[in-house]
Amino acid sequence: MMKEFLEASTVLNNKHVKQWKKSGKKVVGYTCSYVPDEIFHAAGILPFRIRGFGATDTTIGDTYFGPFICSLPKCMLQLAGEGKFNFLDGAIITPGCDSMRRLDECWRKAGSDVEGVIPPFFFHYGVPHKYSDYTIKWLTEETQRLIKAVQEHFKVKIADVDLKKAIKLYNYSRILLERFEALRTLDAPPFSGEEALAVILAGTTMPREEYNALLEQFISNAEKSPGIKGRVRLMLVGSANDDVGLVRVMEGEKAIVVADNLCFGSRFYTDQVEEDGDPVSELCKRYLGHNDCPRMYGDYRRRLDILKQKVEKAKIDGVILQNIRFCDLHGSENGLFERDLEAKGIPCMRLEREYGPLVETGRMKMRVDAFIERIQQRRAIA
Amino acid sequence: MRKETREYNFDWMLWNTFSAASRLKSGTEKEYLTILKYIPYFRGVSKAIHDTGEPGQKFIEICSKYLENLVFAKEKGKKTAITTFCFSPAIFYAMDIMPVCLEVLSVMMTFTYKRGTAEFLDYCNEVGFTETSCSSQRGTIGAYLARIGADIDMIVTDTPGVCDTNANAFAFASTYLNKPFFQLDMPPDLTGERSNEYHREDYKALIRFLEEQTGKKLDSERLWENIRELAKQDKIIAELEDLARMVPNPLPVSYNLMVYASRFLFAGMPECTGVLESMLKIAREKAAKKISGLSGGVEKLRAFFCYIDHYAQNLQLWQMLDSLGVGYQGNILSRSWAHNAPHVAEYHKEEAAYIIDTTDIDSLIDSISMINSRMPMIKSIRGPYDAPNMWLEDTLGLAKMYSADFIVYNGTPGCRNTWGMVKLLARDTEKAGYPTYIMYADAFDARVQSWESTEERFMEFLKVRRLG
Repeated sequence: MMKEFLEASTVLNNKHVKQWKKSGKKVVGYTCSYVPDEIFHAAGILPFRIRGFGATDTTIGDTYFGPFICSLPKCMLQLAGEGKFNFLDGAIITPGCDSMRRLDECWRKAGSDVEGVIPPFFFHYGVPHKYSDYTIKWLTEETQRLIKAVQEHFKVKIADVDLKKAIKLYNYSRILLERFEALRTLDAPPFSGEEALAVILAGTTMPREEYNALLEQFISNAEKSPGIKGRVRLMLVGSANDDVGLVRVMEGEKAIVVADNLCFGSRFYTDQVEEDGDPVSELCKRYLGHNDCPRMYGDYRRRLDILKQKVEKAKIDGVILQNIRFCDLHGSENGLFERDLEAKGIPCMRLEREYGPLVETGRMKMRVDAFIERIQQRRAIA
Repeated sequence: MRKETREYNFDWMLWNTFSAASRLKSGTEKEYLTILKYIPYFRGVSKAIHDTGEPGQKFIEICSKYLENLVFAKEKGKKTAITTFCFSPAIFYAMDIMPVCLEVLSVMMTFTYKRGTAEFLDYCNEVGFTETSCSSQRGTIGAYLARIGADIDMIVTDTPGVCDTNANAFAFASTYLNKPFFQLDMPPDLTGERSNEYHREDYKALIRFLEEQTGKKLDSERLWENIRELAKQDKIIAELEDLARMVPNPLPVSYNLMVYASRFLFAGMPECTGVLESMLKIAREKAAKKISGLSGGVEKLRAFFCYIDHYAQNLQLWQMLDSLGVGYQGNILSRSWAHNAPHVAEYHKEEAAYIIDTTDIDSLIDSISMINSRMPMIKSIRGPYDAPNMWLEDTLGLAKMYSADFIVYNGTPGCRNTWGMVKLLARDTEKAGYPTYIMYADAFDARVQSWESTEERFMEFLKVRRLG
């Protein structure tokens, strides 16, 4: 089971994607958790979260992006330039942040330089930065624009009835992931943080029906597991991380990541979509209302409350607040989290890193180990 | 932050500097020249501005007036709002709120103090803000986070959707200082009914927020007065912009800075009009005589800055351009997108421009929301750089119209948005025939790259591209 999830989370063009493509069906990638997967599912298209995982350098990314830019979109462009996303039939770019939204132009420019680099369907999906009646209205119209474009390009029909079915299916997935989260936060969690991330990531790269079936089985097996005991319990917060190896490095032999607040992690599955009402509008309410990303300005207090609840629920010993260099949104909010959580007696560690295949492993390991020692010493004194 | 820096109130210190500067010329010329010896770090700025004659004197006076207003805002019963340069202050003045424009204050300090804003920049990092964030806000907000500036009541920005690092600085300050926060959010499209409606609804929400914070209803008479004054200012700016098309350009290089700084401080207020009128008078005289605005009198080249300027101490960028005989053809900050601006008519960009309509309160609100959505940066870098009405179209249009010989990009390393697309922009402008130079300096922090290095690299660009 775990092998399936690990394969799906560490291989871009994994076997599920290959099988999907083999049956003649389409795959559309997207860069940010604010894009509703349900729309693509309703169109019979596999939604696939675009990642930068596996890039070993950023020479192509650096050709188009300037130097003071987050390494995640650079790695995504690198992979696109190397042809690693050739299985995509489309891509959706959102203004998740300034670095990510400029992937739109950089990818297009790369596409005009080298044939085949850009998928045939390419769409800029504007997402507001706050939640109100008029921003929901705007996003609903934007989503209808996206639906129209998908229908026209892929010659498909996205009917309300299919959207409602997709919403039900994804909601069921979210229910399963809540059960999974409950297991994760047990005193003796049945799986490591590395495994947990693999399970969540797999959901962004495989057909939802298959994912739900695998997840049901995984949860059922995990419920019988004796669990992992005696480790320092960590929570991982901040910039996007889709690398299970990073969590492995952090956990080492002494710690376990039992909670997170990452967009490739638990933020992906919190909150249900209302199943009654207009499906497009309800999707927009869930996705935009899902304010856990600092791109939604002015909502810090709510995000702090979410962290505090998670700390309590998962009995967290320490919080790792990490950000990719040049990610000012998470980096600055981490500064506030550190101030407010430390004031509540919750040990925090801020870590700036580059996105990539375990770059700076030694430095990170040393810092995390020192943090774990600090927690252990604190425990010993208490 | 040094203990000594904490001893002085930030706004008071700046006010005293500019207040003294505004009186420099009140004595004889001999007295003025003698005083300059005693202000080694400020004399460059003073000289550059005062050398423009009456407009320069008026400009320093309004800077001093703005700072005085800030220092005494509370005593006069006004609320204070931290805001940004690309937010038209007309609404704040109409609601009796003192706008505290971070970037303009950063520029003032960078120009006039030997250490610039270094201590405030670093203080932001000490309290948790990232060092990679934009220096234009950090330079001043550090003083407010350290609570050595004026007492702040609220924080208002309009950069979400346009500039993350800017918006993030305001959101951070709101949380850190525990002050109410409002954001005007910008959709990626500038024009069209969807965007217009979004801008309008968002602006109405802003007015509700400001009414709630001040406990007063919007005074439509005052707003009407401010908007009328703004229309007058737009007309003057349009004529100045038109004059800048002449060869040689009759506008001195520092006029551009004075236009945008006056608007950022006092748009819709008579103080701004006074400076603009004075500038126009001189510019008309020079134009009539076909005299270049450059101090050497000979225009060798014309530069268009596609983003912002470099605010190194003593206005060194302007001094360098002036000494090289380079006519300064404006930047992204100085262009007004009023319907009567020359570039609007030249390129048939009426849809992208705003029209001031004072028929009733709804049309007033519509007008000001349109003005705000077309402020510098807000207008042109909200969407893809190559989309209609966006950065590339504006840059190429303006460079052509103002007969630029080359294009320069300068910003800050914190500008995630433009650094994400500037290489692409430069490729396109080069393809269109404009040698394009990307400066890697920080407009507000000479520690990133000293002015001397910046200047040397600029000269190298001119040499390599055989310009001049």
